[in-house]
Amino acid sequence: MYVLVLEFLEIVVNTIEIDTFVKISSDYSCMKKYLKLCFVVVFIAISVWSCDKKNDRIIYAKNETEKLDSTCVWLGERKNFYKENFMPVFYNYYNKKIASKNYKDAATALEIVCIKKGYFSVYDQEFLTTINNFSENYRSEVGFYATTFIDYYLGNKYDDAGNFKKAIEYYSKITLKEPNDFTTCKNIGYAYYNIAFCYYSMGDQDLALKNSYKSLEYFHKIDYPIGNGYAHTTSSLIHSANKNYNLALKDNETAFKYYLQAKDTGNVYITLFDKIIIYEDSDNHKMYPLIDSTYKAFTKSGIKNDVLKISFSVYYAEKLLEDGKITETKKILDYIKPTVDELDSETSTNEYITGYANYEIAKNDGNINTEIILKAIPTLIENENYQVVISFYNALKDISIKNNDYKQALFYEHETQKAMDSASTIEVKNKVAELRVKYQNKEKINQIELQKKSLASKNITIAFLISLFTGLLLLAIIFLIRQKQKKLKLEKQNTQIYTKQLLEKTEEERKRIASDLHDSVSHELLSLKNSFEQKSEATDKKIDAIINDIRSISRNLHPVMFDKLGLKSSIEQMVERAQSYNNFMVTESINYESGLSISDELQVYRIIQEALSNIIKYANAVAAKITINETNSHINIEVIDNGKGFDVAETLTKTDAFGLHNIIERSKAIGGNAKIVSDKNGTIITIVIKKS
Amino acid sequence: MKILIADDHPFTLQGTKSFVESYGYNVIDTCSNGISALNLINLHEPDIAILDINMPGLDGLDVSKKVQETKLRTKIILLTMHKELSIYKKAIEYGIYGYILKEHAQTELEKCLNEVKIGNRYASIHLQDELIVSENNENDALAKLTLSEKKIVELISQKMTSKQIANLLFLSERTVEGHRSNIIEKLDLPKERNILLVWAIQNIKK
Repeated sequence: MYVLVLEFLEIVVNTIEIDTFVKISSDYSCMKKYLKLCFVVVFIAISVWSCDKKNDRIIYAKNETEKLDSTCVWLGERKNFYKENFMPVFYNYYNKKIASKNYKDAATALEIVCIKKGYFSVYDQEFLTTINNFSENYRSEVGFYATTFIDYYLGNKYDDAGNFKKAIEYYSKITLKEPNDFTTCKNIGYAYYNIAFCYYSMGDQDLALKNSYKSLEYFHKIDYPIGNGYAHTTSSLIHSANKNYNLALKDNETAFKYYLQAKDTGNVYITLFDKIIIYEDSDNHKMYPLIDSTYKAFTKSGIKNDVLKISFSVYYAEKLLEDGKITETKKILDYIKPTVDELDSETSTNEYITGYANYEIAKNDGNINTEIILKAIPTLIENENYQVVISFYNALKDISIKNNDYKQALFYEHETQKAMDSASTIEVKNKVAELRVKYQNKEKINQIELQKKSLASKNITIAFLISLFTGLLLLAIIFLIRQKQKKLKLEKQNTQIYTKQLLEKTEEERKRIASDLHDSVSHELLSLKNSFEQKSEATDKKIDAIINDIRSISRNLHPVMFDKLGLKSSIEQMVERAQSYNNFMVTESINYESGLSISDELQVYRIIQEALSNIIKYANAVAAKITINETNSHINIEVIDNGKGFDVAETLTKTDAFGLHNIIERSKAIGGNAKIVSDKNGTIITIVIKKS
Repeated sequence: MKILIADDHPFTLQGTKSFVESYGYNVIDTCSNGISALNLINLHEPDIAILDINMPGLDGLDVSKKVQETKLRTKIILLTMHKELSIYKKAIEYGIYGYILKEHAQTELEKCLNEVKIGNRYASIHLQDELIVSENNENDALAKLTLSEKKIVELISQKMTSKQIANLLFLSERTVEGHRSNIIEKLDLPKERNILLVWAIQNIKK
């Protein structure tokens, strides 16, 4: 799959390289296209990847069952196992296959026999030798996967012999492999299940539970409800052993569901039986109703399972005794008596005896069968069922007292005491186990809470760090911006200062030239005029004209005696001149005393001069008005005209807009702000200067 | 008749002195800067002081101001290269008696001295030169009017009301009305209704 994706990617990338990059790589829209394509590719990759991930969870499909040849089919049939010729048939077949180097068929036969022998717990030396021989010589030919049954069988062997450690060793060999199909997965599941059972038997419930969960993990990967049922049954048993009855019940019910799904009625009833035991162990009041319904359903089902039949019947008898139905109890016990005898199973017989002993004690008719009670006791002791033992001994003691056999009574009393001691020991043990569970639960809760807490604190720390980082970043950005602003401001200030100085220096220079012209040159001309011996009207007039020209030049360079006359007079003079020279109607309204320095006043003069000159040159106005208004804090200057106006923004961008920039820059230089508004009805230039 | 002369240009000073003396006046002292001039005025209390404006230390205007402030009886004549009405106006504020231009001293100084001597004021006739722009093609009547008055007549001829004119020329309506009556007076028109409108329409060329 990945290879395909990679190839696809390569093709896509190549296409992009050829089509997009080489041809028009600089084109932005193409970049966009490329990005889009990238997204598509990534999306495909992700979907493919997620598909692949899904495959992980897909259940291994059941393998097609291979057609077995007739011998193998025969070997596989359960009824043939106890036949005399079972093993000879097998050996015959097996040796033939080995001889013809058909190891696969040999392995198949061997597997069938292994399963059979494992099922019936038969581990004879001859067969073991065969197995070991095969394992050593031919296993590699068939492959490990196909021959896990060997480890399984050997594991079973040690398991059966109570050598759980060795058994686990063999089972673990299977679990080391990764599953690659239904069978291997199932085998690994079973191996874990068996390991769990070994640990359960060894009393190491923690490891047992761990392996039980592991087995579940593998059974979940395949559609195999029986396996899931087994795993949950084991878990239930482990929880029971831990006195964790709630979890035990939960697993028991889950196992029940799986067995139902698998339509394995045998195991369905075994699960119900387990449930009864759990209820019994946990003193659950639901036990008797369950016994009642289970017994009835079992009898109705017609299932031929004598072991279960006896167990359910004995339980049912117990239930009937509890209800006080003594005759009916007797009926049930008598009904199963033949089955018990026929089955001749130690466990079942003991169950029956205990049930019967219970009945004997309960019937209380003075004719108690002490023998059966005594018979029941050893099994009960073996099963550590001391409460029943005590009640039995008490019953026996009562009978002895009744029969005036005090010696026997004393003996029973002693036994009762012993049983009581054992019971209390057991009780203490149970209590300890219970407390342990409780403690473990509490510890787990504590751990979870601790984890939660640490997670929360971790989150808080992370959040704190993130916010701290963000805060620092923001601070840094703000700092940088501030710094930049400061720098810009400083630069602006410097520029302004420079502009101002430049303007002032220019004015100084102009003033100097103007006064030089006016004072020196004019006077020289004057001397010249007076020095002529022979007066001549023409020369005089010429010299006067030159003097007037110089005056005019000097006046244009610098307003005459500006320092002396001040802003108001100088502007009035300007206005008058505009009227007389330019024939232009200007009025002024000046309310100004002395809010500015002389050099600033000069700049104001220049600004107004510039504005007026612009109006005369371009505005085509009928009239203009100059207003200066001095307030406490500001000097407001306004130059308005009713000319044709112009587009301020556009004009300012033009390179030849020196006049307007002149006004704006001079205003800035003296700490003022110029605003120019213009439309077809005229132009208004406003300058506001803050008094320093 | 005691006369003091102050000028920082020695040549001009000499020239002025010889002019004044040639007119038969007594030049009691001369100096070349404003401070000396003020001191000498204080010292001699001359009848007339002829001062240049541009001088080191104190200029002619400063001296005039001081003289006015100290209420000295010396009459001041400013003899200057500054052909500026604004300066003249300022000088008038300081109570000067005469204002003449150096290039026209030859022709005007004697006249000025004579006028000032008898307590009259004299300003150079050339001072107004530039303000009166005579346009030869204008009719004589219009030549008498100031620029504002001319503009107003022009606008009246376009049948504008006083209010419209005021708006257009950035003047107050009252100012326009004032100008109207001034114009009627200057043009010596009979007191009739709308006489100015009639006159304007007849006399203003479109």
